[in-house]
Amino acid sequence: MYCIETTHLSHQFAPGKNILDDINLQVPTGSIYGFLGPNGAGKTTTLRLILGLLKKQKGEIRIFGQSLVQNRVAILRKLGSLIETPSLYGHLTAAENLLLLQKIYQCPKSRVPEVLELVGLPDTANKKVSQFSLGMKQRLSIAVALLNQPDLLILDEPTNGLDPNGIIEMRELLKRLNQERGITILISSHLLAEIEKLVTHVGIIHKGQLLFEGTLPDLVHKQQESSRVSLVTNDNTRSLQLLQTLQPNAQQQNGKLLLPLLPPEQIAQLNRHLVQNDIDVYHLAVEKNDLESIFMELVKN
Amino acid sequence: MATILFNSIQSEWMKTKRSAAFWLVLIGGFFIPGILTLMYMVYIKRLGAIYSAEKFWEKWLINGWEPMSIFLLPMGIVLATSLIAQLEYKNNGWKQVHTTPQSLTTVFVAKYTVVLLLMLQLFVLFGLGMYLAGAIPAWYYGHIPYPKETFPWGRFIQINASFYVMALPIVALQFLLSLQFKNFMVSLGAGVGLVVASIMVLSWRYVYLVPYTYGAIHMLQLQGKMRFKSNILDVHYLALIYFIGFTLIGYLLYLTKKEKG
Repeated sequence: MYCIETTHLSHQFAPGKNILDDINLQVPTGSIYGFLGPNGAGKTTTLRLILGLLKKQKGEIRIFGQSLVQNRVAILRKLGSLIETPSLYGHLTAAENLLLLQKIYQCPKSRVPEVLELVGLPDTANKKVSQFSLGMKQRLSIAVALLNQPDLLILDEPTNGLDPNGIIEMRELLKRLNQERGITILISSHLLAEIEKLVTHVGIIHKGQLLFEGTLPDLVHKQQESSRVSLVTNDNTRSLQLLQTLQPNAQQQNGKLLLPLLPPEQIAQLNRHLVQNDIDVYHLAVEKNDLESIFMELVKN
Repeated sequence: MATILFNSIQSEWMKTKRSAAFWLVLIGGFFIPGILTLMYMVYIKRLGAIYSAEKFWEKWLINGWEPMSIFLLPMGIVLATSLIAQLEYKNNGWKQVHTTPQSLTTVFVAKYTVVLLLMLQLFVLFGLGMYLAGAIPAWYYGHIPYPKETFPWGRFIQINASFYVMALPIVALQFLLSLQFKNFMVSLGAGVGLVVASIMVLSWRYVYLVPYTYGAIHMLQLQGKMRFKSNILDVHYLALIYFIGFTLIGYLLYLTKKEKG
């Protein structure tokens, strides 16, 4: 069952210029879905369409199994969001900002101190938001998103403005919300490293196209697929000829000999073969691409 | 539905707390009464003659409305209405408002109601201020005989209500502009331009076509100085027609806006 599902979602801001091109996003219920892509890839546009902040031009959006167009209000009742910069009223206090939304959601007033506590702002209820730092505003925005005890959280780059400690705290909070309360979380970021410790599923978008979608283990498998064995010898040209007799895929690149990832026994056999042919092996290693490199590779390709 | 709307109005009203629009209404309501109070506290000798005049309170109120109706009230409406919508633009609030479980109609009606209530607050404060401006000098200088005439509540409310109706087209058009344009200067500039233009066309035969002039027209009518009579409709009806028209256009433009935050 998918909590969010988009089908053939496309969007243009100007005729002929597709900002989103046929996006088929599937966010499983109960998952933490990392929506990744460089700046300008189309992440925020996708999230704004999912929230109904942009008028849909083409495609279908379903949330909680219901069409967004037909059930907008009912869907929004079970949803919390933070899109880009915080939406807070600077002339009001933190508690007042929450109370004006409490009126709309009709949730108990006791939720106000609860969510402030949850995001680490327990002593700021009576402080004007204009006196908050960006990090505090970001935390308060998360508190706003959690006020109505949502089933789905949509967060667009929520760690913007947070210090490293704040990022770790935010990660722990989101994990806890997901595990203890079963909240589905869709979180966007342009840094894989920032969310790889948090997410269960990943979607990678670039230039308006969804390049990859799957579980984090799927992405890790992709990482293993792209790992290579690299060698440096005293005579790379002759070594390449020797290696190609055993491994036709061997190639020379930037002063290194590269082979696909092999079992340890085969790597040892290749090494023996070179040494027996009077080749000095200076360097032999398994080069593992980290997830960030996979992400960059997908984006570059 | 009514409960949802009531909650939404309450929420919108909370946003005006300590906002620039709130202070503008508070200061704007007491501005002219404050000046009149100070004036008669200083020139106390004139007050005795004014107090003993017939229909003192009515004349007193109209005296206060003279500077308000032509320039200060339209300017106040332009500023306050633009500031209400600006609350959302300035604080990136539209995307939050539009992701709350409310229909677009509820959001529009709640925000519009708050603007109309703020205007009502301005009128109530002005009326209260005018009463106090008449009473304070007499209370302070006990030797001046206080007006014998009992306070004409009915007439007082009637005059204020008439000016409120005259102000409605400006509220509606300014609300429309401030929802449409993110840049505060657009609605403010258009509003100021229309207010200035409305003063310039006061002696024009077709002045009744210009909704920003209705406060001034009503003032001149009360003073018996209006040169032309409307050959279309009473100015109250014209004001209501413009108000409904601008409101409907504003509502449709709001509903069909492509980007909602």
